[in-house]
Amino acid sequence: MGKLVLYRLGFAVPQLLVVSVLVFSLTYLVPGSPAAAILGVAATPESIAQVEQQLGLDRPPLERMVEWFGGLLTGDLGTAYRSGLPVTEMLAQRMPATLSMILGGMIVALVIGVGVGVYTGTRPGTTADRVLTGGTVLGIAIPEFWLGMILTTVFASWLGWLPIVGWVPLSEDPLGWLRGLILPSLTLGLTGGAIIARQTRAAMVSALAAPYTDTLTAAGVSRGRVLYRYGVKNALVPVLASAGVVFAILIGVSFVIERVFSFPGLGSLMLTSTIGQDFPVVQGVVLLTATLVIAVNLLLDICYGLINPQARPA
Amino acid sequence: MTVPTVGAPAASSPTARQAAGPRQLWGRLRHQPLTLVSAIVVLGVAVVAAFAPLLAPYAPDDTDFTAVFSPPTADHLLGTDDLGRDILSQLIFAARTAMVVAGGSVLVAMLIGVPFGLILGYKGGWYDRIGSRGMDVADALPGIMIGFVVIAILGRGMLILIFAIGLIFSMNFARVVRAITLTERKKLYVESARVSGLSHRQVIFGQVLPNLAGPLAVQGAVFLGNAIKVEAALSFLGLGLPDDQPSWGGMLRFAAEHQADHPLMAIPPGVAIVVTVLAFNLLGDGINDALSGRRRTRRKARKAQRLTLAAVEAARATSRAEHDARVAAAVAERDVVLDLRGVSVALDRPAGEAVPLLDDVHLTVRRGEVLGLLGESGSGKSMLARATLGMLPAGVRLEGGRVLLDGTDLTAMSDKRMRAIRGSRLAVVFQNPQSNLSPVHTVGRQLTDPIRAHHGMSKRDARARAAELLELVGVDDVQRRLDQYPHEFSGGMAQRVAIAIAIAGDPDVLILDEATSALDVTTQSQVLDLVLDLRERLGMAVIAITHDLGVVAETCDRVAVMYAGQIVEKGAIDAVFDRPRHPYTAALLAAHPAIDRDVDRLPTIPGRVPLAGEWPLGCHFAGRCAFATERCLEAPVALTEDVRCVRTDEVVLEGAHHD
Repeated sequence: MGKLVLYRLGFAVPQLLVVSVLVFSLTYLVPGSPAAAILGVAATPESIAQVEQQLGLDRPPLERMVEWFGGLLTGDLGTAYRSGLPVTEMLAQRMPATLSMILGGMIVALVIGVGVGVYTGTRPGTTADRVLTGGTVLGIAIPEFWLGMILTTVFASWLGWLPIVGWVPLSEDPLGWLRGLILPSLTLGLTGGAIIARQTRAAMVSALAAPYTDTLTAAGVSRGRVLYRYGVKNALVPVLASAGVVFAILIGVSFVIERVFSFPGLGSLMLTSTIGQDFPVVQGVVLLTATLVIAVNLLLDICYGLINPQARPA
Repeated sequence: MTVPTVGAPAASSPTARQAAGPRQLWGRLRHQPLTLVSAIVVLGVAVVAAFAPLLAPYAPDDTDFTAVFSPPTADHLLGTDDLGRDILSQLIFAARTAMVVAGGSVLVAMLIGVPFGLILGYKGGWYDRIGSRGMDVADALPGIMIGFVVIAILGRGMLILIFAIGLIFSMNFARVVRAITLTERKKLYVESARVSGLSHRQVIFGQVLPNLAGPLAVQGAVFLGNAIKVEAALSFLGLGLPDDQPSWGGMLRFAAEHQADHPLMAIPPGVAIVVTVLAFNLLGDGINDALSGRRRTRRKARKAQRLTLAAVEAARATSRAEHDARVAAAVAERDVVLDLRGVSVALDRPAGEAVPLLDDVHLTVRRGEVLGLLGESGSGKSMLARATLGMLPAGVRLEGGRVLLDGTDLTAMSDKRMRAIRGSRLAVVFQNPQSNLSPVHTVGRQLTDPIRAHHGMSKRDARARAAELLELVGVDDVQRRLDQYPHEFSGGMAQRVAIAIAIAGDPDVLILDEATSALDVTTQSQVLDLVLDLRERLGMAVIAITHDLGVVAETCDRVAVMYAGQIVEKGAIDAVFDRPRHPYTAALLAAHPAIDRDVDRLPTIPGRVPLAGEWPLGCHFAGRCAFATERCLEAPVALTEDVRCVRTDEVVLEGAHHD
């Protein structure tokens, strides 16, 4: 177990390092200078030079990189160009909304995805399979934010079951928090669920066509046991392997649907910072997101190693 | 040497065989109605986009303040928005944006991804290692995030949007291209092309790229759909095109602002996106299916016709009468444990015809005997094992005959009762040693589950029994071995475990379905010895299904020879091998290299086993038989006196040479 964690960390840490370097170098890709971008049309060579000096953009790259990594180690991601607030603080403020939505979405996605995938995978070719699999094809094609709009109109405006404006902090009103999370989680979860369902179905079909299924059936093990004990565990192996990608997709989708549900998460922060070219904030959000994805992948890799003995380090 | 047409020897190039030709592809696509509909939708959207100014009733930015938020009317078929702009016209012009951005970004994605993937796959080594790690890093970011970053750096605009979306999907293309290039590079013909002096460029353009065309078309179609979704999302957030450029996402942005009062405004652009994306995705899936030859079969098969030809019935009646007469005595003495009577199995084709897979198989197994079932691949041996156990694959059904186990007909049994039979009365070991066991469960679990299914033991007792069984099949250090996974076992050891699973329920008949074929010779004979030993100890009968005459000669008491779904000859092992009465048996024996014989070249039987569905009405072997005459093909041949040949008394056949 400890060996497995170390082994996987050996992959995750370099990945995180490379991402950090890439994120650091983002500002060097801006045509002209970030200072010119901030100043906009009012920019003069003098004012640009002045702003560059204020922001430390005029210092040599190596010096800035050392400072950047030094900051990372102490949790300091710099200050926002526009608001002058520490980026770390801004991110911390936005994290609860985003994490709540992702958590809710992931739960819905797994329940729907694995449920539908196992159900259809054990009865391929039947009417139920065709209808549900058709549903997953549709689920993948639907723009998530549009689905969110429709769900809001139906469940909030028309039926009045759920609040239109979603976010309530957990500490303020746990029930309100939960109610506000239902529609965003459902929107995220239906999308993610469609992807997971397709993978699970394919994995289930191939697991049930595998020779060991025959061996156990021929040895008199009941069909239910073969399907649900042996089939599902084998099917989970490829599904788990791609769950990290699904998680990354869901984060991206959450950034877009935040707008539909007026959620004060990382997405809206990223959006305003993108439009305002507030690079420290953009860098902060990108780095935080990448760290989240890498951390979840690390966790999933460890689970993968636990479920699949062949993936354990020798 | 300049070769203008790279990969010139097209006729002999294996590339032609690999990918489905355009004509073949079209042939398959024609039978995929959903794919055709999708293609028509895509084409329709493209036409609308191209002729938007002609088709749209208004200009997209025509405002009409007398008709703000108009519901659908004759003037405005889909109504108007907050500025009185015609929604239908905006929708039509937005199709143009969607197609241009999607097309452009997929082009960008290919321009970046294809060369990148080609380099990684073709060069391999460090290029591949570093590049692949790079793709993993890209995986850590949600695609739309890359869009955000590009737009943050470069600003908004059509070309930037195209570049941003293209960048998002470029790694997907790179991955696909890398994987395919890697496999292509390893193939023999690329190797030989390299040896024969073609340049890298010639190999890539002549050999690798043609094989990429299909997968790239699939990916292209799917990512066109995805690009439309991403473009809509970015436009919805206000990061896409300037607001005066109509786009579906932009329309939804306005709709969201007025969602509370005019919720229906969100419908037309949303439906447009869903339909277009769906069409692209289904088109991609369809091309993929057509390329891989996986045709979507029409589900509703017409009632399958039965093989009711009078001649067939006559032959079957003869075989049946013969069989009954020959086994009557043994059955009366309760010496026969398993009795297959005229078992016929057919595959139901979607078009309605039934393809016979097993034809009129009569076979008896006596208590404690070892019966060899011999035949080339494609003769139906394994299907016979499955038919016996009631484990026919989907779409295959028992067309006739009975499977009698101690006189009880298994074919009439319910699934539940059949399950009780499997493992406890009849058991089977399949061919592949490793994949016979679930890779993610311990050997112990896979042994205890069948044990508990049969004996209803506690977990602890079942484990003790599992340990006994493992010891019985010759596995050492059983307590440790029980907690191990199949990949920790060698092929021979894994097959011993599979045998232990099979005998967990103390079966009366153990079927070995090519169970030793994948093992090396030494291991093979060890496993066979084990089975013979188990037979002695447990008193079970064994059916050894094999294509290996050596195995039959060494282990079996009796043998049945199968050819193209039929038993052509059976009898005691010495009788059949010394004096074969069917030309096929003789041919098999002649093709088997005896150790003591001087063999200049391996004699083989010319031709191949005819595929199911291509069997002649008469003798199935006639096409390859040196003794065949017209008479052999006239009518179905019955199994008489344990041989299925009309000329058996006329021809002189040579048996095996003993030392």
